[in-house]
Amino acid sequence: MIQFILRRLLISIPVVFGVVFIVFVLSRIVPGDPCAAALGERANPRSCEAFNARIGLDKPIMPFLIKDGTSYGFTGDPSSVANNQFVVYLSALAGGDLGTSVKHGRPVTQLLFERMPTTIELTFYALLFAIIVGVGLGIIAASRHNSKRDVLSMMFANLGVSIPVFVLGLMLAYLFGVLLKDTFFSLPPSGRLTSGLRPQSIAQVWGLTDLTGPPRGILDFVSNMYTINGLVTGQFGLLVDALRHLILPAIALGTIPMAIIARMTRSSLLDVLGREDVRTAEAKGLRPRVVLLPHGLRNALLPVVTVIGLSVASLLSGAVLTETIFGLTGIGLTVFESISARDYVVIQGLALLVALIYVVVNLITDVSYGFLDPRVRVT
Amino acid sequence: MTPASGRLPKFATLFAVFAIVGAACTASPAATNQRSTGATNAPPSGGASGGAADIYPATGEVTCGSGTTAGSFDGEEYKGKVKSIEAPDDYTVVFNLCSTDTAFLEKMAFSVFSIYDSDWLEANVSNATHLTTMNGTGAFVLDGWQAGAEIDYSAYDGYWGEKAAAPKAVLRWGSESAQRLNELRSGNIEGMTLVGPTDFETVSNDDTLQLSTPPAGTNLNTFYLGMNHDVEPWDNDKVREALLYAIDKDRLVDNFYPPGSEVADYFTPCALEFACEGDPFPDFDPQKAKDLLTEAGYPDGFETELQFRPAVRGYLPQPPQIAEELQSQLADVGIKVTLDQQDDAQYIVNSNTGALHGLFMLGWGADYPEITNFMDYHFGAGCTAAFGKCYPSVADPLTTGGETTDETTRKTAYAEANTALIAAAPMVPIAHGAFANAYVAGLDVAQASPLSNELLFRMNVPGGGDTLRFMQNSEPGSLFCADETDGEALRACEQSMEGLYGFEINGSKPVPALAESCDPNEDGTVWTCRLRQGVKFHDGADFTAHDVIVSMALQWDAGHPLHKGKSSQFEYWAGLWGGYLHASKQPAAPE
Repeated sequence: MIQFILRRLLISIPVVFGVVFIVFVLSRIVPGDPCAAALGERANPRSCEAFNARIGLDKPIMPFLIKDGTSYGFTGDPSSVANNQFVVYLSALAGGDLGTSVKHGRPVTQLLFERMPTTIELTFYALLFAIIVGVGLGIIAASRHNSKRDVLSMMFANLGVSIPVFVLGLMLAYLFGVLLKDTFFSLPPSGRLTSGLRPQSIAQVWGLTDLTGPPRGILDFVSNMYTINGLVTGQFGLLVDALRHLILPAIALGTIPMAIIARMTRSSLLDVLGREDVRTAEAKGLRPRVVLLPHGLRNALLPVVTVIGLSVASLLSGAVLTETIFGLTGIGLTVFESISARDYVVIQGLALLVALIYVVVNLITDVSYGFLDPRVRVT
Repeated sequence: MTPASGRLPKFATLFAVFAIVGAACTASPAATNQRSTGATNAPPSGGASGGAADIYPATGEVTCGSGTTAGSFDGEEYKGKVKSIEAPDDYTVVFNLCSTDTAFLEKMAFSVFSIYDSDWLEANVSNATHLTTMNGTGAFVLDGWQAGAEIDYSAYDGYWGEKAAAPKAVLRWGSESAQRLNELRSGNIEGMTLVGPTDFETVSNDDTLQLSTPPAGTNLNTFYLGMNHDVEPWDNDKVREALLYAIDKDRLVDNFYPPGSEVADYFTPCALEFACEGDPFPDFDPQKAKDLLTEAGYPDGFETELQFRPAVRGYLPQPPQIAEELQSQLADVGIKVTLDQQDDAQYIVNSNTGALHGLFMLGWGADYPEITNFMDYHFGAGCTAAFGKCYPSVADPLTTGGETTDETTRKTAYAEANTALIAAAPMVPIAHGAFANAYVAGLDVAQASPLSNELLFRMNVPGGGDTLRFMQNSEPGSLFCADETDGEALRACEQSMEGLYGFEINGSKPVPALAESCDPNEDGTVWTCRLRQGVKFHDGADFTAHDVIVSMALQWDAGHPLHKGKSSQFEYWAGLWGGYLHASKQPAAPE
């Protein structure tokens, strides 16, 4: 297994490098001027020259490749081999420096550090919703194959997979935020917390304000996941408020994966329930629930786990829309803002982060097969 | 599963978290914003405080330029309009200018030129905390900026003027107008900026809400259809003239602009003084347009491109739809246009460099409410390249109008400029677009400022709540607004910071704030400002003339030790006052 994991990690290196390269090239090919985006539409050419020099955009993009205004060309300057934007970026990356955001004027690592908790929290609850509801619907549908329940469950799943995130998000916000306002079902249509609510950090509550360095950084990082913060520090008002704000975006983001998981669970479970060993279990007189859940579901979960792993990918891409609609300042909204502002270093940093997350999630998915199917462990 | 293999993914994840956390902890904002300014002439913060007269620059003399010749300072070229700023006593500041500036008060009222406590700046610039905190004199004290979520304020008990109507205020943001409207309708906020054009009716018909639009005639923006007369066929005067008659502006405004928008008969909105002297642009007359095209040698019209960008602006609410309508109207007079939608940011570059060779859709919103801000940038002596070479027939009277304080002379000069603009026909002014903010019903002093500086401290909370919550379209880039250009940052600053002048509520007239008055000498080259006494900053420090000098000097002098912001470009200083001292020290080298 260790060999398997190491091999997968080694394979990941060129994958991540490829992502870095492609994102770097694409971000520079996309038309647009970072200077105008950063300094405003009325920035004069002299300011823009200074700006480009300051952030290194006056260098060749790659060896022998230059951008002059709106057009691209080649240069015969041999110094461009060592002194170009890609080399500068890679050497900084090797030192752990993702660069400084033009739009925010702060290091990209700091931005990621601040904004990742929002996305992690949103993705977690969206995935939780997708798994619980998706697997539940799949079981209901498979256990009553071709019944009304089956049809209704799958209609629900098909509906979920058909509605774009932004449509569902806006509908949910309008329904629960506006139409059901002042009722028990009212939910906030955007934001992470109620205005004016200022959560205390874990360090503050635990009296660790003197703590510095990475341990403090980790505490602050976790503090920014408000549901965890509220839970571990006993700020239950914060916990409830954060959960109320997460319900709608988590449902909007988790609906498509939920629908896919439901369909996959159903079909996989139907396959398993038709197998001889399961029918033997039934013939032995085991109760239907025992046959369905411990026997059937465990064997049916392997493809479902694969789908769940892949769902993380769709959740990350869906987060761009969901966070924009619900005003959640996480990685997704940052991607949106950075692309609009041609903030190259942030786009590159986020792409690298997402690529790393994909690699780790895929690895975890593969490893989890071993838990579910002993044959995988043997091979 | 072996124990080792089970731990590895967790270890990898933990490692990644540690790497990011570690990098974030070591990369402090201060480290990235520090740079060597190498100021030579500047004392630590702009001169002595109290006692002896305070003057900037403290040593050396600024030599003003004239015409196209630049001035000089400290062995460097100087292109600015400011000659010196001095404080004969603690409550008087004198601005010596190189030439008359008729828009002095309008510029001073712009929140970019708010006044900072000099001691506070010295303590905070070095560690970059001035980017995320504020210490002003305004009616609201900044309580904190929760990054990504909101900015919190509370009323300042020691405020010199009318106290805040609500004890607390919260500024939030959301990029989509539908999202902001949902928040408003759900009762989570009391006010929002920029109602979507299609939601005007929704808000108007909702009894629980109120729509707030700027007063009639104060849409301080202009949408126009431009032509570069350096290229064919726009180098033909008759072709450009034909365009003046070819556009049905009423139809465009009626069909694509929100209520309150106006057809543009002049380039500059008529709410501004001298804007509408002279002749208005001619009315729609398609037959005359065809006749002129025939005279120009194009009896069957011609083919060209209609260039535009998709960005929605107050002056251009529906770019593609308006482009299609223009395409249809132009076809009626024989001009067949192909739509060329360009990237947002690149479009501005193309415009500024004169690279838009078709008809192009563009607009302008006021930086400060004065005719020079509209006319001089586009058609003055240093005109933008968008329309090709400058038109001297327009530029000359603009120079005359901008360099005198005599009302009659200015009136005559701008009438001449407006009439010459019609003859030159570099563009067709089409519309002054309206916008609207929305508030809950019962909120007094609902604001829709033509300059986007809604002041929350004037608004109450209906129903007796203690927190006024307002939502704008994006998060500020920083709270050091001397070095900011986006309206969202400026609005956040305006709640806590004040300048010598401010703007009247819902209007564009400058009104005294930290200055009781600013008066020009006879030729408008010396402005003397008498400061309000007894004003204290939020941290309890006294407000004096020294703070004014430091606040101006840090922007003016690129070599000043406090010339450090988010980008350190201080764009508006150069844009409004001409240029920097020690311009060679403007950030250029990689940090």
